[in-house]
Amino acid sequence: MSTNAVSGPPGTTSPAVPPGDQQQAAGWYSSMPVRQAAVIVLAGALWWYLATVTPPDSVPSPARTFGELATLLGTDAVWTAVAQTATTWLIGIAACITVGVPLGLLIGSSRRATDSTRLTIDFVRNIPPVALVPVGLLLWGPTRNMVLLLVISGTIWPIVIQSSYAARQTEPQLRDFALVFQLGRRWWLTHIFLPGVTPFVMTGLRVAATICLLLTVTGELFGGAPGVGTQIQNAQVGNDNPQMYAYVVVAALLGLLVNSLIWAAQRRLLKWHPSFRRRA
Amino acid sequence: MMRTARRWLYVSAIELWLPVLLAAAWWFASRDSASAYFPALRDILTSFRLDWLSSAGAQNLRPSLTVLAAGFGSAVVVGVAVGAVLGLNRGFERATRPLLELLRAVPGVALLPVFIALIGIGTDMKILLVASGAVWPILLNTIDGVRSTEPLLIDMAVSYGMGGGRRLRSIILPAAAPQIFAGARTALAISVIIMVVGETVGAQGGIGYFLLAAQRSFQITDMWATIIALGVLGYLLNLLFRLIEAVVLRWHRLYQARLGGPRR
Repeated sequence: MSTNAVSGPPGTTSPAVPPGDQQQAAGWYSSMPVRQAAVIVLAGALWWYLATVTPPDSVPSPARTFGELATLLGTDAVWTAVAQTATTWLIGIAACITVGVPLGLLIGSSRRATDSTRLTIDFVRNIPPVALVPVGLLLWGPTRNMVLLLVISGTIWPIVIQSSYAARQTEPQLRDFALVFQLGRRWWLTHIFLPGVTPFVMTGLRVAATICLLLTVTGELFGGAPGVGTQIQNAQVGNDNPQMYAYVVVAALLGLLVNSLIWAAQRRLLKWHPSFRRRA
Repeated sequence: MMRTARRWLYVSAIELWLPVLLAAAWWFASRDSASAYFPALRDILTSFRLDWLSSAGAQNLRPSLTVLAAGFGSAVVVGVAVGAVLGLNRGFERATRPLLELLRAVPGVALLPVFIALIGIGTDMKILLVASGAVWPILLNTIDGVRSTEPLLIDMAVSYGMGGGRRLRSIILPAAAPQIFAGARTALAISVIIMVVGETVGAQGGIGYFLLAAQRSFQITDMWATIIALGVLGYLLNLLFRLIEAVVLRWHRLYQARLGGPRR
C-alpha cells in the first residue's frame, strides 16, 4: 500500500486521519462507489449467466427484464398498481402509528398495564398475519380492506412493543428533574418524554415499515387484491416471465423507496441524537 | 416459601386476567351466533380438536414443520456465515452494501412466482422461498454484531496467539450472539408467513393449504380452527426460541447483570 505517498509528505502522516479516508485517496479504481458499482455489475453478470444456462424463457436476461420494465413504465397499468400498493401501505402504516405508538407508550408507562397485557400481546403478535387473509376474503372479497386487515394485524405489534419498551426506558432522573424545577406535565411530555422515546419508537417503525410492505404485497398476491402483488401473480399465470421479473423489480424498488423514506424521517427527527450527530 | 407462592399467584393473576376475559367475551358473544362467518367458539374448539389434535392434524403439520425447519435453519446457517465474513471485512462489506440493500428490499413473497417458474411446485421450492425471505434480518444483524465486537478483546486474543478460527468461535461469534438472536427472531416470524403463503400453491398438504381449502369450500369453523392452530404454532415456536436463546445467552445475562447492577 502506498498510502503514505498520497496522504502527504513523508514523515507527516498524521495519525488523526482514519484509515478509511486514506484508502479513498489511493486511486479512483479503489474508491467505494466504483467498487459498489462493480459488485452490482458482477451480480448482473451472474444473472445473465443464469439466464443462459437455464431452459429458455424460464429466466429472462437482465436486458430483457429491464427492457420489459421500460415498456411497462410507459403504460398506465404499472403506475396504477404502484399507486394502489403505495396507498395501501400508507394507510396501513399510518393507522398502525396513530394507534400503536400511543397504545404502546401507555402500556409501557405503567408496570401494571405491562404485566396485564404481556401474555395477550405475546399470543396475538405470534399469530401469523396471513392467517387472517381468509377472514378478510370472506368479509370483503379481494379488496383493499382485506389487505389492510392483514397489514394492520401484522404491522401494529412491532410498533406497540417497541413503544412500550421506549416508555419503560425513560430516565427516572429526568422525571425527578422536571418535578423539582416544577416544569409542569406538558413541558415534561414535550421536552423530556417524547424526545426520549423517539429513538426507540423509530427503531420499531423501521422494522414495521418493511413488514408493512411485505404484507401489502403478500395480501395482493395471496388474496388477489389490486396492486403490484397481483400483477406479479397475473404475469406468472399468463406465463409472461419477463413481465413477472419486471414487476418483481418494481416491488424491490418500492422496498428501497420505503427504506430510504424511513431513513430520511429518522435522520430528520433524530438530528440531535448522538448516533446521528457524528454524521453531520 | 409462602411468600413466593403468593408472589407467583399474584403474577399469574395479573398476567392471566386479560386473556381469560377476552376468551370468555368471545365465548359468550358467539354462543348463539347465527352468523355464517363468525360461528360459536364452542364449535370452533370442537373443530380444532378434530382437525389439529388428531392424527390427521399431525399429517397436515408435518410438511409445514419440515419446510419451516429446513428453510429457517438454512437461513440461520447462511446468514451467520455470510454475515461473519462481511462483518470481518469492512471494505468488502461496504462494497456489497448497495447490492444487499437491493436484494433485501425484494418482498420475500414476491419471489414465489419466480421460484415456481424456476424450480416448480415442490418442497424444495418452499424451503428455498422461506430461506430467501428469512436470511436478511439474520445476515444484517450478524454483520452489525460482528462489527461491534470489543476491539480490545480481539487484540488480546491476537497477542495471545489465538488462531483465526478459534477467535471467531470463542470471541467474535459469542459477542455477536445477542444481535444474531434478535435478527433470528424477526426471521422466524417472517418464515412462518412465507411458509403459509408457499403452501397455498400446489396440493401437498400443510397448514396453509388446509387454511385456504377451508375458506374456499366455506368450512368456516375449520377455517377459524386453523387460524387458532396457527396462533398456537406461532406462540409455541416463539416460546421454543426464547428457551434456546435463554440457554445460549445465559453468560450474556449474567455478564450484563454484573456490569450494570440490578436492572429495574
